[in-house]
Formats: sequence, structure tokens, C-alpha cells
Amino acid sequence: MPRRSSIKSILGLALILLGVVGTVQIGLVGVTSALAQDSTVIRVAGSTTVLPIVSRAAERFQARNSSVKITVNAGGSGVGIHGAGTRRLDIGFASREITPQENNRYASLTTTVIGRDAVACVVSSEIFHSGVRSLSKQQIGDIYLGKITNWQQVGGPDRTIIVVDKETHRGTRHVFMQYLFGKSNARAPGARLVTGSNNEEQAKIAQSDSAIGMLSIAWINDDVVGIGIREGRQVIEPTLKNVRNGRFPIARNLNLLTAGKPKGRVKQFVDYLLSEEGQKIVESSGYIPIHSPHAVSKVAGSHSK
Amino acid sequence: MNLKQKFSEKGPAFWWTGFAALISSGTIFILFISLVIESIPVFKAQGISFLWGTDWFAGEAYGALPMIFGSLMVTGIAVVMVLPFALGSAILTSEFLSGRLRLMVKAAMELLAGVPGIIYGLMGIALLTVWVRDVFGLIDGNTLFTAGFLLAVMILPTVMTLSEDALRSVPGEFRDTALSLGLTRMEMVFKVVVPQALPGLAGAVFLGVGRAMGETIAVMLVIGGIDRIPQPWFNLFAAGQSIPSKIGREAAEALGFDVQWSALIALGLVLFVMVMTLTSAGNILLRKAR
Repeated sequence: MPRRSSIKSILGLALILLGVVGTVQIGLVGVTSALAQDSTVIRVAGSTTVLPIVSRAAERFQARNSSVKITVNAGGSGVGIHGAGTRRLDIGFASREITPQENNRYASLTTTVIGRDAVACVVSSEIFHSGVRSLSKQQIGDIYLGKITNWQQVGGPDRTIIVVDKETHRGTRHVFMQYLFGKSNARAPGARLVTGSNNEEQAKIAQSDSAIGMLSIAWINDDVVGIGIREGRQVIEPTLKNVRNGRFPIARNLNLLTAGKPKGRVKQFVDYLLSEEGQKIVESSGYIPIHSPHAVSKVAGSHSK
Repeated sequence: MNLKQKFSEKGPAFWWTGFAALISSGTIFILFISLVIESIPVFKAQGISFLWGTDWFAGEAYGALPMIFGSLMVTGIAVVMVLPFALGSAILTSEFLSGRLRLMVKAAMELLAGVPGIIYGLMGIALLTVWVRDVFGLIDGNTLFTAGFLLAVMILPTVMTLSEDALRSVPGEFRDTALSLGLTRMEMVFKVVVPQALPGLAGAVFLGVGRAMGETIAVMLVIGGIDRIPQPWFNLFAAGQSIPSKIGREAAEALGFDVQWSALIALGLVLFVMVMTLTSAGNILLRKAR
């Protein structure tokens, strides 16, 4: 008898469990199907230069459109272009132009410019304070080629230069190499380190006391200082003003990429970035809005439509 | 009763578990075959020289040697650094500590083994690179040595606990006999117990090495990321690149495309073969020890 009752209670327990699982399951199915009906997920990723703009914009856009979920990821310009091209992303963002090869591969990519930026040559603050305030294009080029290896050779302290390069698909690298060597995928045999995102590059240069690198001007700070570019007797400082008036030579567009023309929710988000409010985000992130009174005249590596 | 009988029947249980086992063990073959298939394009484009080419530049050339070298180098550094500490603490816990203390040390080691790689990576990028630079008077702390150091810490628990198991598995009579013959404790440990446990100790190290070779994120953050064999090659304080770190940096960009993708898969294949060899050698040695 006692045995029997225990079996009964076990059976009862199992039934209860089944019931619970069943309701939870039904509930979940209900919830997920409801989610699928009412909300759109927009997947965006790409350049870490454009990332601050997009993630802020996504936050505000979602606050206003509760039915839209935007997932924002980093990865780099190459990842943004590639992702949009293969439709793994609804929007890719890039801080460089599409290369001819990428254009051949993904003919359907449509570019929307949402802002402008410039790439500065940056150095560790110690180097800046020891007197290296500007370098010529020739000097920077020679440093990246490994012909100049000591700061002494360009008026700095007797210290080996830590040349920081970036992963080859990165937008910043494309633009910087285009300026230095006229080729966006030029090699840099003088490099000592290779970094990926803006954060990583910024951190590695800040940690060092003798590094040189390339960085979006919005990412310059007290530890990672942008130096002037010397052209003849002139020194052009990496300031927003100089980018706006077209004097600073390493400017670029910040691009959104979609497979074909943006449609539906995606278009709404793109339009939001181009709206007055969106452009304010561009500006407060340290970049130049597209409708700024002074157009940027030179854009490095530009060969798109 | 009925229920009980059904479960004791061999038939369904056999099929069900057989199916599970087939899926689990089949995974490794599917993985290997797809790695081989996906890496064909790069071998078509570059020939077998992919393996010893020293130049890697996406879109132009794919040579794996700097990455293979980097992987071997950081793993070698890790093993050399971990051995004295892992073996030392294994000997202490197995031979000199009482039950309770021993469990405490082992528990600590197991906790250490559970720390995610990214945590070591963060420690590495924030502290270790700076220490290495300052202690060794380098111009920069992102080096093969730093990566090896970090890996040594990461594999310490694996190597230590497995070594300890190997030492414990040496029967007590050996120790008693050695002591009764008048050997000191020191002699007993190093002349009797350690030689007896040697296959197991070697197995522990091999498994640790296998883990070190596959570690991605922590290495990626401190190794320097440059696809170059240092000059001279034994310069530990130069930046380099390991296979997982290379794949980690380039995969998202190359995903599913062209020779670059195939080259990354081929790198993965090389790593796969290296780690499989080490792991199976380690497992064989460990089995022998038991």
C-alpha cells in the first residue's frame, strides 16, 4: 500500500510539472509571436568611429518607437560594408568609402552620408609635450615605412617610435594610408603594433610614452594628442574648424550602407539620423553635421557615385 | 512495475544513447571535414607554401608561418613558466598537505580554472603590459612574452590539478617502502613518486598546452597583433601574432568570402591539428598513468 501511494504522488507531481511547463510554453509562444508581429529588429554594425552616433541615435529612436528594436554592434568599417552587402545587417556603417573591389562584390549597396570627420595623426602626450607638435606628410610616411625609427630624427626625445597600425579593413587606416601613400591598402612595414577599434588604438597609445598612430579627431584627448600636419611652412592643426573649411587634408565621410535603397523602418531610422535631431547627435559626438554651413571640400579616398 | 520494466529494457535505451553518441562523436569528423573543404581555395591559390609563407596581407598574400611560430612561441613560454609552479604546488598538495588543506588548495585552483579568458585579457591589457614594459625596460609591453605569461597563469590550474591527480594515483606502499628504506621525504618524492607519476605529469602538461594554444581573447589583447616573425626569432620581447588571435581579428571582416576566408579556415585547420595531436598525446599519457 505505501508503495502504491508513493507512485501515485510521483505521478501527480509529474502531471503538475507537465502542466506548469505547458503553460509556460504556451505563454512563451504567445509572447514571442506577439513580439514578432508588432516589432521590427534593425541590425546595425560597423565602424567604431560612427558607433557613438548610431548608438545614441538608436537609443532615442527606440524610446520614441517602442515597436522597433535596434541592435548596435562594432567591428569596423569592413564589417559594416560586408554585413550590409551580405544582408546580415540591415544597416552597415563605415568611416570610409567602399573600395572598387567591395563595390564589384556588392553592387546593390547604397551609401547615405550622415556626417563628416577627419583622421588625425596622433602621438602619446609625452611626445607632444617634448616638442613634437607637427610632422610633414613625408615624415609620417617614413615613420610608417620604418625609415624613421627614433623620435630624435623628427625633433623629439631619444626614444624608439612605437608605430601603431590598424587592421587593414579599418576605415581610419584606409583614409590615412590614402593620404600618406596614395593607396588605401598600402603596407606599413615600420609598424610595431596592430590595433582594431578606436578604443583599442586610443588605449594603447595612451599607455605608451612614445607612440604614433591614426585616430578620428573626435577621439583625441589629453593622453592621445593630435598633431599638426606640416605643409611647407604652414602647420594645419586637426581641428573641426580646419576640417570644415577644407584645409585639413585627411577628411572623410561617415557613411550608412544599405542593400538597395532603405525601406520601411530602416528608412525611418536613416531619416532620423539625417533629421535636425539626428544631426545634433552627429555634432555632439564630435563630428561635422552634413548640413553644416561650410561644406567639406576634400574627402579622402572618394570615388563613389 | 510496468514502468520499471520498460526502462530496464535494453532496446530503446541502447538506440537513444547510441544516437546521442553518434551525434557527439560525429561532430568532430564533420568539423574536420568542413575545415578541410573550406580551406581548399587557399591551397589552390598559394599551394602548400601557405604553411611556410611569411607574408600575410589580406587580398595579396597569405603565409601562415608567423602565426604558427607565434602560437608555438607563446605556448612554449607558458609551459616553461608554468612548470615549476604547477609541479611545485602539485607536489606540496599531494605529498605534504593533510586532507582538509589539500581540498582547500584544490578548490582554489578549480576556481582559478573557471575564470573566463576575457578577465585575464583585461588584467593583461590594463596591468601586465605595463608591468612587463617597466620591469624589463622595454619600449612597449605588447609582446610574445606578455602573452605567454598570461597563458601560464591561465593554464596553471589545469596543469596543477591534473598533476596532483597523477601524483596521488601513485600507490601509498611506494611511499612507505621508500621511507622504510631510509630515504628522506625529499628523496622519496623526487626519486620514487615523481618518476612513477611521470606519464601522468606529462599528460597534464600536454592538456595544458592544448588549452593555451586555443586561447583567443586574452592573447589577442596583449600580443601586439603583428603578423611577423621577430628579428632575431628568439626575441621574446617583440610583438607577434598567434593563430587564434589572427582569426579573431580578421574573421568578421572576411566572413564567408574569397581566399582570405579560406586562409583563416586553413589557419584554423593547422591549429586544430596541432591541438588535437597534443590533446590526444596528453590523454594517452594520462590513461597510461592510471
